[in-house]
Amino acid sequence: MQHTLSILLQNEAGALVRVAGLFAARGHNIDTLTVAATNDPSVSRLTLTVRGDDATLTQILQQTRKLVDVLQVEHPAQA
Amino acid sequence: MALMQSSARFDHHQGTVVNMPLLQPSFAADAEAGVAHHPLSGKDLSGADVVVQVLADEGVEVLFGYSGGAILPVYDAVFRHNAEHVKPDGSEPMPLIVPANEQGAGFMAAGYARASGKVGVAVVTSGPGATNMVTPVRDSTADSIPLVVICGQVATQAIGSDAFQEAPISNIMGACAKHVFLVTDATQLEATMRTAFTLARSGRPGPVVVDVPKDIQNAMVRFEGHGELPLPGYRARLRAVESATLSDAECESFFDALARAKRPLIYAGGGVVAGGAAPALRAFVDAFGLPVTTTLMGIGGYDTTEPLALHMLGMHGTAYANYAVEDCDFLFALGARFDDRVAGVPTQFAPRAKFIAHIDIDPAEINKVKHTDWHHVGPLDRALQRITQYGQAHNHRSSLSDWHAHIRALKQTHALNYDRDSALIQPYAVLEEINRHTQGRAIISTGVGQHQMWAAQYLDFRAPRHLLTSGSMGTMGFGLPAAIGAQFARPDALVIDIDGDASIRMNLGELETVTTYGLPLKIVVLNNVGDGMVRQWQKLFFKGRFASSDKSLHRKDFVRAAEADGFSWARRLERRDELASTIAEFLAFNGPAFLEVMIDPDAGVYPMVGPGANYSQMITGDFIPSRETSPIGDIATSDSF
Repeated sequence: MQHTLSILLQNEAGALVRVAGLFAARGHNIDTLTVAATNDPSVSRLTLTVRGDDATLTQILQQTRKLVDVLQVEHPAQA
Repeated sequence: MALMQSSARFDHHQGTVVNMPLLQPSFAADAEAGVAHHPLSGKDLSGADVVVQVLADEGVEVLFGYSGGAILPVYDAVFRHNAEHVKPDGSEPMPLIVPANEQGAGFMAAGYARASGKVGVAVVTSGPGATNMVTPVRDSTADSIPLVVICGQVATQAIGSDAFQEAPISNIMGACAKHVFLVTDATQLEATMRTAFTLARSGRPGPVVVDVPKDIQNAMVRFEGHGELPLPGYRARLRAVESATLSDAECESFFDALARAKRPLIYAGGGVVAGGAAPALRAFVDAFGLPVTTTLMGIGGYDTTEPLALHMLGMHGTAYANYAVEDCDFLFALGARFDDRVAGVPTQFAPRAKFIAHIDIDPAEINKVKHTDWHHVGPLDRALQRITQYGQAHNHRSSLSDWHAHIRALKQTHALNYDRDSALIQPYAVLEEINRHTQGRAIISTGVGQHQMWAAQYLDFRAPRHLLTSGSMGTMGFGLPAAIGAQFARPDALVIDIDGDASIRMNLGELETVTTYGLPLKIVVLNNVGDGMVRQWQKLFFKGRFASSDKSLHRKDFVRAAEADGFSWARRLERRDELASTIAEFLAFNGPAFLEVMIDPDAGVYPMVGPGANYSQMITGDFIPSRETSPIGDIATSDSF
């Protein structure tokens, strides 16, 4: 099942690489990805889609929340 | 069970919105320090001096590292700091210990951190210096060891130009550290350095890399004397985890389940050690009588000489610990992560456990491998204290006398054992003899392989931070540099590196580091002329085809190598009847000592739960009685590892 995740992260060099790298290292293929600064230029919003069952998704959400640059991770469909 | 789940489960993070301005500077650290005025506050310092001053402020007492062009300003600042702040006894306040290879420095810092619980610090140059540090950094992430690693980097204007000794360290380390900073603004250096220490030691500990370009080291900046980076996301999550408490309802559901259990068991991992929870675990066991088995990383979290201690579980755990896991009806996992060396087949792990409770500091470990019926995310020591208090206040008592008798019988029937009549020196006998002297109070480091498992099985550990071993990554070559770092953390302690011939080869250059610094380290090489664990697998699963694992053509004379590096006590033990006297002399030697023991090359590590097998299919070898085992499929072609 495809999931759309919305991630707020500090707009710092390397922050995007870390999110993308985490997904790759844990065996997830990112299907789509967009990043843009928010109204607060120090914060970026990253929207990505991945496929996976609920347990896999929960685990990658938890791992993403451990990235130091990540401010917030939301899975709007589940909110 | 379903009822338990709903009443006990709570999530700090699921759907939580962080209600705070996102990037407001936090002055929490300043408030904590009472805004004590730093004597250097307001002064202009070079970036290199800022790095060293923050290290001094953080209480760093030893650095491990190798110099090079891009880190020279920091090295010079360390030199000047040490010259200007000589201690009353004439020693340097922050000696810089130089290894043969940066990987050695990383494992020394890790050994220091593992033995002391403090943050280990390594300082290396750019490019190869930093890439040689990748293995210790990944190893420390995997075992949750707090490090701060400072890497020199080419000047900011040269980054991306394929400069001499340039490597993309923030990319490389980003994939394997807890966090990495590339400092591109000199005014952020001081706060970044302080934040690195906070990140390394808080929550689930880990290594933090600070990549500092040379022009940042040379820049002059105003020293503030306080302040950290805001990191609002990390700090909000950390606060939530650290302030988490167990409600009465959660304690009640825990004890309801425990009251119904007849055979409850504690499975304790490295979190007990990292979280300083050994005293709280001891109090819990004293109060409620649950037997304890630990993982490799958890060894020492509960005194292995206690009647209720079952020693290590898992692939090479004791047979009695593994059978207790098979038999238990309630499993209490503490700071453990059900990894594949423990729960190789998660669905068949602890198959009779009707209730699994789990406490961890890392929310991502809950339900990652094994579904739990009750869990709590928070500091382990506080959670255990709270549960113990609640249980005592509510007079929780369960009659575990049958279970205790069963545990006693398991320990007796399935005790570790080996061929005691063999003419060849058995590695287990060497460890038993060492243990007779050390009584579980020495600090032991190991390489990786058979000798590592034998050390974990046959030695006693009476307290945490006494077994230093690369658990998750399984890095050969860890033992010698880790022991060096540990000796700096505990200068008066007996530190022994139990190593293998293949493992010690990987960082053999560090033998010289031992004598350079006059460390009274004891090094034991259990030499079976090859990669013993690989051979064991090839024997069991590849019909004895020893691809690359036989080293009988290798010519190294370890004793002469040790002598060449300045060991005045270096011996080879080849006769069984000299074992006791040699070990006694070796351990009593006042100074660095190196002992090579030629062991039975066919000695295996038993018990063994093969890859893809469950505990009931454990192979116990010829000398440990087993229960009936069910057959296992063809492992050579299995994907399990």
